[in-house]
Amino acid sequence: MRANILTIYVIGVLLFLAAPVLIVIPSAFGQEATLAFPPIGFTLKWFSNILAHPELISAFGNSVAIALMATAVSLVVGTMTVLALRRYEFPGREALRMLFLAPLVCPAIVLATAVAMVLSPLGLIRTFTGLVVAHTLVTLPYIVRTVGASLAGLDVALEEAALTLGANPWQRFRTITLPLLGSGLLVGATFSLIISFDEFTLSLFIVGNGMMTLPLEMFNYVEFSIDPTIAAVSTILVLITTAAILLIEKLGGLGRQFGQSASGGAR
Amino acid sequence: MLLLLTPGLVFIGAALIWPLLIMLRVSFLQRFPGPVVYTIAKYAALLDDNYFIDITLRTFGLGLVVTVATAVIGYPVAWYLARSPSRWRHLVFLGVVYPLLVSVVVRTVGWTILLGTQGVINKLLISLGIIHDPLVLMESFWSVAVGLVHVLLPFMILSIAAVLGRIDKSYSEAAYTLGATPMRNFVTVTLPLSIEGLAAGSVIVFCLTIGTYITPVWLGRGHVTVLAISIFDEMVTLVDWPTGAALGMLLTVATLLLLAAYGVFLSRYTKR
Repeated sequence: MRANILTIYVIGVLLFLAAPVLIVIPSAFGQEATLAFPPIGFTLKWFSNILAHPELISAFGNSVAIALMATAVSLVVGTMTVLALRRYEFPGREALRMLFLAPLVCPAIVLATAVAMVLSPLGLIRTFTGLVVAHTLVTLPYIVRTVGASLAGLDVALEEAALTLGANPWQRFRTITLPLLGSGLLVGATFSLIISFDEFTLSLFIVGNGMMTLPLEMFNYVEFSIDPTIAAVSTILVLITTAAILLIEKLGGLGRQFGQSASGGAR
Repeated sequence: MLLLLTPGLVFIGAALIWPLLIMLRVSFLQRFPGPVVYTIAKYAALLDDNYFIDITLRTFGLGLVVTVATAVIGYPVAWYLARSPSRWRHLVFLGVVYPLLVSVVVRTVGWTILLGTQGVINKLLISLGIIHDPLVLMESFWSVAVGLVHVLLPFMILSIAAVLGRIDKSYSEAAYTLGATPMRNFVTVTLPLSIEGLAAGSVIVFCLTIGTYITPVWLGRGHVTVLAISIFDEMVTLVDWPTGAALGMLLTVATLLLLAAYGVFLSRYTKR
């Protein structure tokens, strides 16, 4: 009996969590020009209407490019950092690890303001580079955490064997460590792509005419007109996210990111 | 080793530490950009201004409400994730994590459909005859709180579940054997043992709430000003960077104090 009450309660909470996400999907197909649920009629015109908004398309392109670049930088820098933090004992190692995770607990608005104050005199406001720097600040901790977790589960003996057999450090990394890290890197990269693609606050002071990201452009769009076009864009984003999560799941990574280190903070 | 660490250190130094130091400096400037005159006037003005005190109290009040709500709502779900023998457990886990990865903009669009004056909840209440005119559900402190509970609930659930999962089950079994009722067992055994997870979740949720921007903007529609919105206004609308920086420093200090308090709590608690 008590177990049943708990099950019903859990289903209730899951519905609360899913409701605002799932409700945008049917709303994208309604014929009326207002965002409404339940939708009246059925049409795909709001999806084709996306194409009539070049600013949404170019913002989508920017967001994809920024996410790819921030993820690439985070992967290289993050993996190097994690390798150093694991392989060498030195005073302050734990403090250093915390420093790399710090952007996760620092208020996003403070990070955004501080980064903008540095980018501004360098002329990097409204630039691709500026946005990549800001986004890398929040994607790097995710890579450090995911790759760190999968490195911790890696048998040191394998790497030692490589050295004993005469491999140099680079050969050891390329033929032993990297292949064994493979799925960890892929999971970290997928997370990083999602985090960067969805990032709102850190882009806030850096975007502007000619250099917008999709979340900001969607925000601007809704300021002027709330029609199902934005629900259509949202539907596409929900589908992309779902595909990404299924990919991570297949690699067994959601538990790695959230299960073991849930208390490590995330945004 | 230095070779491996250099890129990371250079990046964190240039993109995190340096900007925060610049911000600290700007918060003590009279004007920026402009002639360099150091002053504590901006801080003094903030602490003397009832408008900012209101905003600060509202921000921290929001943090408190959201933290308590996520803890109360999330605890049973965390319990289910950590203890239930159900084969649906992994599905529930996915259901908890999924919203975390969906764009905040998408979720706020969803809330507009649910809470708007023409929204689902108003239509439902009108068709049930409970109300005649639509309620204004958005534009209030409470709509912002609901939106934030939705965004942050997964963090709380996962933090508590991580600790609950580590507790040795034999403790509660012993309590049962000694005749404790389920309620007494929970209050005297499980709750104290899981307090570490509750504390970790609370710190994360509180810190993320007081620094949040988009949810109060969207669900508050200009009626719920919090520190993050006020920082944005100072920076962009009023172009008063020193005041914006001073507000940001106050927010950072509050966050650091909370983290430090959590660290002290944790070391005391685990020592006992």
